[in-house]
Amino acid sequence: MNLALSDPVAGALLGPVAAPVAGALLAAALPRRVAAWTSLLAALGVLAAGLALATRTGQGATIADGLLRADALTAWLVVAVGAVATVACWAGVHHLADQARRGELTPGAARRYLVLVQAFLACMTVAVMAANVGLFWVAVEATTIVTAFLVGHQRTRASVEAAWKYVVLCSIGVGIALLGTICVYAAAIAAGPTPADGFEALNWAYLNEHATQFDPGLMRLAAGLVLLGFGAKAGLVPMHAWLPDAHSQAPAPVSALMSGVLLSVAFYGILRYKSIIDAALGPAYVRTLLLIAGLASLALAAALLIGQRDYKRLLAYSSIEHMGLIALGTAVGTRLALAAVLLHILGHGLAKAVAFCGAGHILHLVGSPRIAAVRGALTRAPATAGLFGLAVVALLGLPPFALFASEITLARAGFAAGLGAVVAAAFLLVLVAFAAIARHAAGLLLGPAPASEPTSPSALASPTERTSTSDSSTSVPSSAPEQPERAPRLGLRWLPLALGLVAAAGLGVWLGPVQPLLDCAALIAAEGIQ
Amino acid sequence: MTVLVALGQAVLLAVLAPYVLGITRAVRARLEGRAGRRLGQPWRDLRKLLRKPPTSPSDASLFFVAAPPVLMATSLLVAIAAPFVATTSLAGEADLIIVVGLLLLGTVALALAGLDTGTAFGGMGASREMMIAALVEPTLLLSVFALSVRVGSTDLATIVTAGATDPASVFTPASALAAAALAIVTLAECGRVPVDNPSTHLELTMVHEAMVLEYSGRDLALVEWASALRLTILLGLLANLFAPWGVATELTPAALAVGTAAFVAKVGGLAAVLAAGEVFAAKLRLFRVPELLAGSFALALLAVLAAAVLG
Amino acid sequence: MHGATWVEQVFNLACGLLLLTAVGALWRRETSALIPILAVQGGALTVIAVLLASGHADGTEAMVVAAVVGLLKVVIIPLLLRRVRRLVRNARETRPLVNVATSLLAAAGLCLLAYAAARPLVAVAETPTARATPVGLSLVLIGFFLAATRHRAISQIVGLLLIDNGIAATAFLATDGVPLIVELGVCADLVLAVLVLQVLTARMVHTFGDGDLDDLRELHD
Repeated sequence: MNLALSDPVAGALLGPVAAPVAGALLAAALPRRVAAWTSLLAALGVLAAGLALATRTGQGATIADGLLRADALTAWLVVAVGAVATVACWAGVHHLADQARRGELTPGAARRYLVLVQAFLACMTVAVMAANVGLFWVAVEATTIVTAFLVGHQRTRASVEAAWKYVVLCSIGVGIALLGTICVYAAAIAAGPTPADGFEALNWAYLNEHATQFDPGLMRLAAGLVLLGFGAKAGLVPMHAWLPDAHSQAPAPVSALMSGVLLSVAFYGILRYKSIIDAALGPAYVRTLLLIAGLASLALAAALLIGQRDYKRLLAYSSIEHMGLIALGTAVGTRLALAAVLLHILGHGLAKAVAFCGAGHILHLVGSPRIAAVRGALTRAPATAGLFGLAVVALLGLPPFALFASEITLARAGFAAGLGAVVAAAFLLVLVAFAAIARHAAGLLLGPAPASEPTSPSALASPTERTSTSDSSTSVPSSAPEQPERAPRLGLRWLPLALGLVAAAGLGVWLGPVQPLLDCAALIAAEGIQ
Repeated sequence: MTVLVALGQAVLLAVLAPYVLGITRAVRARLEGRAGRRLGQPWRDLRKLLRKPPTSPSDASLFFVAAPPVLMATSLLVAIAAPFVATTSLAGEADLIIVVGLLLLGTVALALAGLDTGTAFGGMGASREMMIAALVEPTLLLSVFALSVRVGSTDLATIVTAGATDPASVFTPASALAAAALAIVTLAECGRVPVDNPSTHLELTMVHEAMVLEYSGRDLALVEWASALRLTILLGLLANLFAPWGVATELTPAALAVGTAAFVAKVGGLAAVLAAGEVFAAKLRLFRVPELLAGSFALALLAVLAAAVLG
Repeated sequence: MHGATWVEQVFNLACGLLLLTAVGALWRRETSALIPILAVQGGALTVIAVLLASGHADGTEAMVVAAVVGLLKVVIIPLLLRRVRRLVRNARETRPLVNVATSLLAAAGLCLLAYAAARPLVAVAETPTARATPVGLSLVLIGFFLAATRHRAISQIVGLLLIDNGIAATAFLATDGVPLIVELGVCADLVLAVLVLQVLTARMVHTFGDGDLDDLRELHD
């Protein structure tokens, strides 16, 4: 059901892309404080454009114009990207302000950070709205390049290591995905009537339409390659090794963006490909592959969460765990399961963004990324740590947050589809992860503050923390006079985190206006583009 | 007629072999700025040695005594069977696998003789030789196999005939890769630089010389002759598989004469190139030799793949 | 085969050269030798692209693709790699995870694996050059192996480039080349990726003192 091309359509399609591009240009030109707020405006622009798209496509319509197209699934993802970006960019304002106050931020570094974050958002929206598989691939590869310097923002040994691993592993993974894309292209031009322009053979719509004619042997090869490649970008085992390092070394808002946006968009690619491959091969093949990947990711995350010592790595492994759950839901493949998956993507994005930004604030407060170095965070900084704690509660899948609803629905769908044993095993692993995260978070948040500094929120003056960590982002010769400045600013810092949590809780309780959008998106994800 | 041709081929190779050795030594000497020995010097050495009675160590057994005749016999058999001057052979089929098996039999016989002497150097040479042989034999098989894929038969005569009648088929990637692999195999099998220095006097760097350290008199003459014969055989195979022009495809006197002349010229040229290469290359340290041989194995396998895929 | 046109012969030679350079990248220990090997491989790929473009009825788009590929892989990428090499002079692979002899044997095995894996592609693809698709896949596998077993930063970059060359070769051989826009996007991404890796190598040398990836040991569980 394509609407005729008209200007409002083009505007609606270009909105999500134009907002971050404008944000990037402005960030390059304006001074830091103003540019930070304009980046928030750009993120809000993406969210607004996503909601506009949702109103247009929410009943099952599709709009397309040249290289971009949007249907309900696209709109859902754009809304998710916008929501996570809003939280992350808002928290980014405070993050940059903190760094500037500590004298760690040069104007060039700030500008680079802001421009790269906006470029990242632009690439992600282009990827989600691409009508062509080739364009999707190019955008996903571009995000690796853009985020490389965001991951290596601090010039420490650990962040150089993290950036290197990230670029090499993700480039290799995306290269494998390109090989898979080429196999799909070969199948497409060998099967149906050749389109006039080879480029059209790579459109999502064309592939969905002709998928039943593709050669099964070639599609099996292509499916394996595509799942391996985009799974690397999504943090699924076996090519997940970049995730903990990159998330622990990147600045907290960037980690929030990566967990909430990058992993989600990579999974969006897998969802789109799944319907094509299922049309060619039947659902069993991809289901098996995704079940293996999902269970392996869950097992790995659960195992490595137990002995975690770094709270940002803890959150990274929690991302892997949730991606494993999402892979499981995709494997089940029914409409209900995919609705749960899409809700999980949005809920996880929001909760993880809040968690990472809260963790970033704790890092500024304490100066050490180790869990053991943080004690009694709730007494030290009640608002921020409290919101961090609530975000962890959300991630654990407790009500009233959206993740509870999506996990319950996932379990229901799994049992209904006959995969009861697998779902039971998966939730057992989730239980292990639950216990591990809860224990670490409790140790971090609860209890009295350390006796050496009963009321001061900073451990910058204590040398023991600094020498016991490998992260040297706080090796600044600051002195006591800086501490009193921190308290007055705290007032606004909790606002983005609270908004994110309210949204996550709201979605968990009442889907309301987004229910038809979710239903349409799940239908498209389950059965492909009609 | 074929019997005569085959026996004549064997005699030709046996006579030519010491001259090939002489060519390599003369070219090497000239390039190194020395006057060098005359071309026929290896023949004179052989004559001198043949007149002397052999001795053997007191602990040696059958293997030590039997190895020189076995080595010579297998080399002569290959000389009779494989297509050097003419492509019609005595047995009707000069199968690649049989040829490689005969060469390997000779290698193993000499290695056993080296072990049989009971000396440290004999054992050392034998173990090194077998390490090299373990990588060289599969490479030899694979590189000629790459050529046989296109022709559809492992008979060497068929391969050479196919190459002679369609010269363009030589310039394929499969051919080029197989030629590179076979060249490295020749160097390794015959103990030339960079795998082994044939003129070394240092026992610790020897491979081939260490195995034959205890031989003297007639036995030494046979071993030296057989080694020269194997070098001639491998150079001849290299020449005829990859530059098959001039090989006699029928048994007329004119074709045979042309074939003989072409063969002598090609082998002489290759011997000169070999010697020139030896002057400019250095011997590899022993632990680097498996790298070189593994590389030639990879090239041979690539040649087979290229023959199957690229045709 | 008999009476093969010179086009086919040049094409076969180019494919053979692709394989040879891939094996050569595993063989040499000096990382400075990898750059000319990669340049030759890029040249062979360009020759394949040009031959395919000349076979098209309307070959302007394909010629542009071939020109872009040639410019990128023969000129730009070796230039960038030389800048990386200047950072880590005289780097040698002294402690690869798998020693050179075994990695050469492994490369031979990977080529066989590529041949087996490419069978569905060869069966389906309708181009006359589809038979040679295993060459592209073996390049991908060998590049993967190189990146996984070597401990020098520049070797991992070269492994990545080998993977990309292999993918480009597969695209040309199996599908007659991906559309121009996609090819341009892929090339742009590749250049940017190599630039990023060059900057990261510079930072690594600055922070750790050497382009040796075994020094990257701090982040682990």
